[in-house]
Amino acid sequence: MTVFQSGLALEVRNLIAGYQDQVVLEGVSWQVPRGSLAAIIGPNGGGKSTLLKTAVGLLKPFSYDTLTLLGQSPKLGRKRTAYLPQREEVDWDFPITVLEVVLQGRLVRKGWRGRLCREDYAASRRALELFGLAGLEASQIGALSGGQRQRVFLARAVVQEADLILLDEPAAGLDAQTQHELADLFVDLCRQGKTIIAATHDLDCLTECFDQVLALNRRVLAAGEPSQVLTEAILEELFARHFPKVGAGGEVMVHES
Amino acid sequence: MNLELILEPFQYAFMVRAFVGVGLIAVVAAVIGTFVVLKGLAFMGDAIAHTAFTGIALGLLLGIGIHLSALFFALLTALGVVLLTRVSNVRNDTALAILFTGVFALGIVLLSTSPGFVGDLNSLLLGSVLAMQSREIALIGGFALLLLAVLVLFFSRFVLVSFDPIGAEAAGFPVVAFQSLLLALIAVAIVISIQAVGVILVVALLITPPATAGLLTKGLKLQMVLAAAFGLASSVLGLYISYFWGAPPGATVVLVATLFFAVVLVVQRLRRGSRLAC
Repeated sequence: MTVFQSGLALEVRNLIAGYQDQVVLEGVSWQVPRGSLAAIIGPNGGGKSTLLKTAVGLLKPFSYDTLTLLGQSPKLGRKRTAYLPQREEVDWDFPITVLEVVLQGRLVRKGWRGRLCREDYAASRRALELFGLAGLEASQIGALSGGQRQRVFLARAVVQEADLILLDEPAAGLDAQTQHELADLFVDLCRQGKTIIAATHDLDCLTECFDQVLALNRRVLAAGEPSQVLTEAILEELFARHFPKVGAGGEVMVHES
Repeated sequence: MNLELILEPFQYAFMVRAFVGVGLIAVVAAVIGTFVVLKGLAFMGDAIAHTAFTGIALGLLLGIGIHLSALFFALLTALGVVLLTRVSNVRNDTALAILFTGVFALGIVLLSTSPGFVGDLNSLLLGSVLAMQSREIALIGGFALLLLAVLVLFFSRFVLVSFDPIGAEAAGFPVVAFQSLLLALIAVAIVISIQAVGVILVVALLITPPATAGLLTKGLKLQMVLAAAFGLASSVLGLYISYFWGAPPGATVVLVATLFFAVVLVVQRLRRGSRLAC
């Protein structure tokens, strides 16, 4: 049997998905080549989280023509996929140390069987060092800054040996400098062959480092390289309702398209 | 207090059994209860206790083992909770409250047909520590060992599904299976505790000692150890007080546990307050 390895980290065609009986994604198609640094941009409620969650099986899709992760069925592809939830979806008060969080990257691979061994600990410590978190192993996760927390979760993804890393609003609550540092880490990870897909509701400091962008508002408005997608016309259509503008006479206008 | 006075309760076999039985229960409930506190599942614990009551009532009426039927109802409730949290249009606490009070009411009606109704109801609601037999204590000990063994074996996996179920499920980890197993452990701990403190107070054994420990530490394992210590201390002290003052034992144990919590809380607030003041 030959294993077909496609060059795509994520492929969806005609995906219809949402919550309970509410359709959020109305037939979305998107292809992300391996090694990409991809962004999903769009307004709140536009389906960014829905797309990520459906891709990794947290939500059951209503229907689709194609849905693959790393060229495989989602069930198999998930094993090499890491998903970093939104900030508010994580219980930061939980009594768990930084090292224990990173070790979970190995645990999710083991499933039902197998104990954490010395090699797992060594890999986790290496990853922490790599992400500039040496010395924080024994700290409680909630004691870290927002940027450090993101790095702990990225270290966990690396320890999990994930080839595809999905992030839901990774820049939320981070200051500009921390966002730039995060962007540098993304670029590094992509150079190592990982694919990164991040959902972000506003155009922040991260946007400039991406090489693939999906403009999503329930439907795909545009997809491709940033220069093709981040045009004024598309952004206007994507965000118009949310961008108040100051007119020539000093009056504030809100577009209602 | 001299030695004779300390040893006095131990000349009665039923008191020795009470100390051993309640001590075991308190330790196991406190260790498992740490997860209940962390995940905010106190209400669910209450629901399991109430449906287990109906299991016991049914067991008494049909003349089958009460532990087995209680366990069946408790596990059924735990499973129902897992399903409820996954597919729900109704708010979870509302649905759960309707379900468990309904099942509880059914239990009371069923039990009322038995000739020893008032006595049975009383001991089930408030516990009957002093009536525990050696066979029951052996049963409790067996279950306690089993619970702790499963907990130790899967400890880091339970932590994983408690801390980040979303990320774990996204990576293909069997989250639902481990969440169900954890709830099953909680259900077993409740069933073996009901006899000692009764349906109404059983949640206190699960919640209060871990909550007290949680005030003192940010480490999960240490919280479990401290919770077990608070649980054990509450049961020993509670039984002594109940012996010398003739107070109901189950309620006294819970009262002591509550006092521990209050004292730790107040001392901590005072110390924090004095630190802020300078």
